[in-house]
Amino acid sequence: MKKFLRAVFLVDLIEGLWVTFRNQKPSLIYTEQYPAERPKVAERYRGAPRLNINPDNGETLCIACNLCALACPERLIVVTSERNEETRRKELTTFTYDTSRCMFCGLCEDACPVDALELTQDFELATYTREGQIWDRQMLEEGPRPTQYTH
Amino acid sequence: MPDVTFLDANELVLNMGPQHPSTHGVLRVILKLDGEKVLGCECVIGYLHRGVEKIAENRTWMQFAPYVDRMDYVAAVSNGLGYCLAVEKLMSVEAPPRAQAVRVILTELNRITSHLLWLGTHALDIGAITPVFYCFREREEALKIFENYCGARLTTHAFRIGGLQYETYDTFEKEVLAFCDMFPAKVDEYEELLTGNRIWLGRTRGVGILTAEDCKDFGVTGPVLRASGVEWDLRKAQPYSGYEKYDFAIPTGRNGDTFDRYIVRIQEMRQSLRIIRQAVEGLPTGPIMGKVPKVMKPPVGECYVSIEAPKGELGYFVVSDNSTQPYRVRVRPPSFVNLQALDRMCRGSLIADVVAIIGTIDIVLGEVDR
Amino acid sequence: MEALLATYLKPLVMTAVIILLFPLIAGYITLAERKVLADFQVRLGLMRVGPYGFLQPIADAVKLLLKEDIVPSAADRWIFWLAPVLSTVTALTAFSVLPLGPNLQVADVNIGLLVILSLSSVGILGTILGGWASNSHYSLLGSLRSAAQMVSYEVAMGFAIVSGLMVAGTLSMQGIVKAQFDRQIWFAFSNYGLMFIPFVTYSIAAVAETNRAPFDLPEAESELVAGFHTEYSGFRWALYFLAEYANMFVVSSIAVTLFLGGWLRPFANIEALRHPLDFAFPAGLFGLIGVGCAIGMRRRTVAVDKGIMAVLAMAMLGAAAAFLVPMINAAIIGPFWFLFKVSVILYCFIWYRGTFPRFRYDQLMRVGWKYMIPIGMGALIVNGLVLLKAR
Ligand code: SF4
Ligand code: SF4
Repeated sequence: MKKFLRAVFLVDLIEGLWVTFRNQKPSLIYTEQYPAERPKVAERYRGAPRLNINPDNGETLCIACNLCALACPERLIVVTSERNEETRRKELTTFTYDTSRCMFCGLCEDACPVDALELTQDFELATYTREGQIWDRQMLEEGPRPTQYTH
Repeated sequence: MPDVTFLDANELVLNMGPQHPSTHGVLRVILKLDGEKVLGCECVIGYLHRGVEKIAENRTWMQFAPYVDRMDYVAAVSNGLGYCLAVEKLMSVEAPPRAQAVRVILTELNRITSHLLWLGTHALDIGAITPVFYCFREREEALKIFENYCGARLTTHAFRIGGLQYETYDTFEKEVLAFCDMFPAKVDEYEELLTGNRIWLGRTRGVGILTAEDCKDFGVTGPVLRASGVEWDLRKAQPYSGYEKYDFAIPTGRNGDTFDRYIVRIQEMRQSLRIIRQAVEGLPTGPIMGKVPKVMKPPVGECYVSIEAPKGELGYFVVSDNSTQPYRVRVRPPSFVNLQALDRMCRGSLIADVVAIIGTIDIVLGEVDR
Repeated sequence: MEALLATYLKPLVMTAVIILLFPLIAGYITLAERKVLADFQVRLGLMRVGPYGFLQPIADAVKLLLKEDIVPSAADRWIFWLAPVLSTVTALTAFSVLPLGPNLQVADVNIGLLVILSLSSVGILGTILGGWASNSHYSLLGSLRSAAQMVSYEVAMGFAIVSGLMVAGTLSMQGIVKAQFDRQIWFAFSNYGLMFIPFVTYSIAAVAETNRAPFDLPEAESELVAGFHTEYSGFRWALYFLAEYANMFVVSSIAVTLFLGGWLRPFANIEALRHPLDFAFPAGLFGLIGVGCAIGMRRRTVAVDKGIMAVLAMAMLGAAAAFLVPMINAAIIGPFWFLFKVSVILYCFIWYRGTFPRFRYDQLMRVGWKYMIPIGMGALIVNGLVLLKAR
């Protein structure tokens, strides 16, 4: 009997309507206005790469060991170096990183013995050209130009 | 190419996909119709083929791990777990207990996110446009835990061969438990919206029936199999990663129709919560990485390891020739195998059911095509 | 001279106003629909074009007008062209007999309701021909579905309407409203509440008749891509769109007129409620919206947005004030109640869409023939008997 009455008075449908109705409360809105309201990504977020420099003397931390390039499954990092005759140490000359092929797996970051290469929290990597996706050493050290929005 | 000799004046051939709103990606289904009735269907796959298995052959063991995330990108963590377990077996190492527990927590969370995505899109296919947003809201909470843990949300690359790369973060336990507390009420909400609804019942009851026999014939696994009443779950049948320690039930259905599969998945989400809670509460301390050399060279041999992924049995068959790169990696993707049953399930139903049935199998084309 | 003005000029002016204004109104109904759906779905909805997406309908209209006009090469060009026009014209023509207020109507013909019903039957042709002419499988299936669906639900709808007509005793739209005033009851509640059954059947059939969710099979996007208008784009598509919203408006208007007292205020016979309902309620409503706009204005940062919100706030507050002036009030309170009731019904349309899954074709037909029509018939007979008894 109860079942019959529920069926006649469309209780199941009304229950559903009530669910959507009560979710209308403005405080329940979950989406955000992206460029205006920037999401805070996690500390460990694997985003845009950065080549760290020593804050004391402004020199790169990278020792040009090439481990990151070897670790990368996509083989998209190219490190070149030359031997400094005075100190007998390898010094980094160029470092390119092709973000268009990167899958942000973090293996390069894990491989780096001196924490020079790091994936940062910046996630806005869109560019207008394919060439723009290839980051050189300068860009990796200074970071991409901050995105400007006009709205 | 599909066989075209069946053409007959009374039959209408409808090409559904690869660009169709509800073929879940790039599946192409060629439907033979008599009016609205489906006489048969044929799947054309391969539009998302990326040669993942071939890629494995020229990456090192370690380097291949991020690629498996991209097969079933909805359940990337499970994929990673399967691959890591397979290589670990080959090298006869085992992840330390803490790593195993964290793996269980994350894979079960991943099962929930995968089922949530399934529920949302399935409801969307059947025409209820709101559940998908509620599901995504909760899924977001779980993804945040992934993001905090390993820095990525979807293709997580959370595990490494031998254990874990990342130690849990400070508030990890708290956040996971908070999710466990919040989530059951939300599942109730989805059920309120769908389970009792007469339209939903009409659209799912008795649609796409697959008997237990059919399931076994086709090799169907996962929730689709369990909805037909077969209590088969690899987490219980061949426990891995410490699943034998946790107390949980295997939800099964009776009729093997779309509705049962829906109920089974809903129940599975609740069971996953139970596992997560137990795992978090008994999280051991200790190292997170087993003894694996920096340069991995598993001994010559082969092994097959399968796990219970959200969509069914996900198996990895790996062969090593004692080099730094796999000789062969063969994946048994659950979606691919389950998709075979589509024709059987669709015969005699209506077009609208085809959409519901494709949804209910829960396929991810990245995994079907690899 | 006077008579000439009344018979020719007023209807002409009103027709022009409806034809010019309704596309805009339809645009804003879509805006409301998207916003309300967003509310159900815990999202923000439109926020980019204008403050809170307020200018979106205009942007959409411009986009649709400027789009390339694509006619599939295999299509039947003439019918392809004709079908959306047919849909729109019939839907807009139906507006001519809607009694928006005591004096606000293009023509109070004595068979008003019949005009609407017959126009909507012709309107179905637009859908069927459109799907047929596109020469695409999805479109064809969509139009076949809509043919079956609309025809069968028209029967159920007819029975519900006939029940209403029996109580009203007239086919003229104004006459129906007047009858409710004389009888001092909205027809949805008359006959000891028995008339509520036809009202419910009508509401359900109306949703089906306008192809709205959960009965939106002809355009079920998850099955048939876009159903009968899969191949349509740009302005032609916009016409179908316009027709859909016009139809929604028309069927809601019938429901309001026939069952919910038309432009009468609630409890039209209780004089004590006149002031709170005719003055305080609309003024309060518009006042609240105005204050809301003002708060929204303060939250916006861009000057243009602020300006638009300020204008809106002023307009709303102005409207609130207008309702307090007895003379203006007398002229606009009828349309206010009419549109208010129509909006409530439109809100329900959106609400259903946000909540329910879609029926399957055979279930839809079963609901139509096995439940809706017998219930409609039964209600007709029972109500007829009750009326006979009362006489
Ligand atoms: S994140 Fe992965 S793919 Fe990207 S550069 Fe590093 S190792 Fe290569
Ligand atoms: S691994 Fe680190 S130190 Fe070595 S080359 Fe790469 S960035 Fe430089």
